[in-house]
Amino acid sequence: MFDWLANPNRFKKITNKLEPSLLVISLLFIIFGLYFSLFDSPKDYQQGDAVRIMYVHVPSAWLASFLYLSLAVSSIFYLVWKHPLADLISSSIAPIGALFSILTLITGSLWGKPMWGTWWVWDARLTSMLILFFFYLGFILLHNAFERKVDGSKSASVLAIIGIINLPIIKFSVDWWHTLHQPSSILKFDGPSIDNQMLLPLTLMIIGFGLFSLYLIIVNVKTKLIEKKCEALILKLNLKELS
Amino acid sequence: MNSVYSSWSNIFIAHVKRDILTNSRSLIDMISIVGFMILIIILFPLGLGPIQEKLNIVSNAVIWVGLILAIMPSLEKLLQKDFENGWLDQIATSPIPLEIVMLSKGISYWLFILIPLIITSPIFAILLDMDLKNIPWLVISISAGSLAISLIGLSGSALILGARRGNILLPILIIPLMTPILIFGVGVNEAININESPYGNLFLLLALTLVYLVISPFISALLVRIAIGR
Repeated sequence: MFDWLANPNRFKKITNKLEPSLLVISLLFIIFGLYFSLFDSPKDYQQGDAVRIMYVHVPSAWLASFLYLSLAVSSIFYLVWKHPLADLISSSIAPIGALFSILTLITGSLWGKPMWGTWWVWDARLTSMLILFFFYLGFILLHNAFERKVDGSKSASVLAIIGIINLPIIKFSVDWWHTLHQPSSILKFDGPSIDNQMLLPLTLMIIGFGLFSLYLIIVNVKTKLIEKKCEALILKLNLKELS
Repeated sequence: MNSVYSSWSNIFIAHVKRDILTNSRSLIDMISIVGFMILIIILFPLGLGPIQEKLNIVSNAVIWVGLILAIMPSLEKLLQKDFENGWLDQIATSPIPLEIVMLSKGISYWLFILIPLIITSPIFAILLDMDLKNIPWLVISISAGSLAISLIGLSGSALILGARRGNILLPILIIPLMTPILIFGVGVNEAININESPYGNLFLLLALTLVYLVISPFISALLVRIAIGR
């Protein structure tokens, strides 16, 4: 399947059809999710209205981790099969993942001020999320640090794969160490410990955020494909002028 | 089989000897790094105010952070020279396994740059008013952790081979990787301070060091091959 999709032209054909519907569907999910989370969901008995920050915080945290996983997977694809499209995909994922991890940290600290009484605590989950952001940043910087683009792609892919050790630390930090951060309440062995009325907007937001970032990634990849084509055309023109 | 192993260890020893010899021809690197470390240590009493209790609390962390910061400038040069004058190309095309050479690079860097810092660390501890009972544990934890730090540094310096402004990029890339070492290393003395056994943190630190000892030569060799393929 990957071989089949890895052809840039086929990728473009498929994504051209997918793109508009993806945008519409993801926006619908986000709009409905926002409506439910802001107006039509109960207040938390302890946290009051501040619990509504969670509906942005949790999806962006999940996406920041999930996008890093996909970044590492596409880096492996690039290093092993050396397909340029995999590199385009990972370099399009990186800025979006970095934005989501920043969004997680910002919403988390906005929530933390009224709840914990402080903007920031140095507990394991917050710190590991911050480090995830630095891995994204390192990937982006290393990707652009070389004269020839291929060199940066390869080195940055290796960095992305090394950084994957951070993901289990983020996931399990709240279980391993007794931190100030809430333990997970959705992905648990004995079912989610969260009320259905809260689970509905949260699920809508997670799906909406996921589809929207998929849309952004596709747009990014297409832009980079066009960029590459332009570079190739310029090279061709230069060659013609020379000869 | 036996001859293969003995020749690999010969290669390893020869390369460690070569690196130490070439480094010892100009001691300026080592001296400047120890000087840098001393200056980092001096900045803290100046910044915090010369209050003994405050310094006592932060001393352990300051020495660890100082160690990580002090070696940053030298890491960039670790492979750069050999890369630029083509020595790494020669090694990579020869039948000598590049992984062994990378391991020897990491070990010789540790011997040459970090051993002086380990030897001088009790002096820093006394300067920062650390309790005497903590100093042996500081030396033990630093000797274990610094090997991991130099191996991560080796991979980092292989990562930026041929990059523009690699020296600025390097700390951003490798300091996130060094955080577990710092946490467990500082934890050894934290455990002593609250009268608990330091072995839990120390063994985790040693385990991490062993993991890096295994994977770092392979990652570095892979990165050097990528850099040479350019």
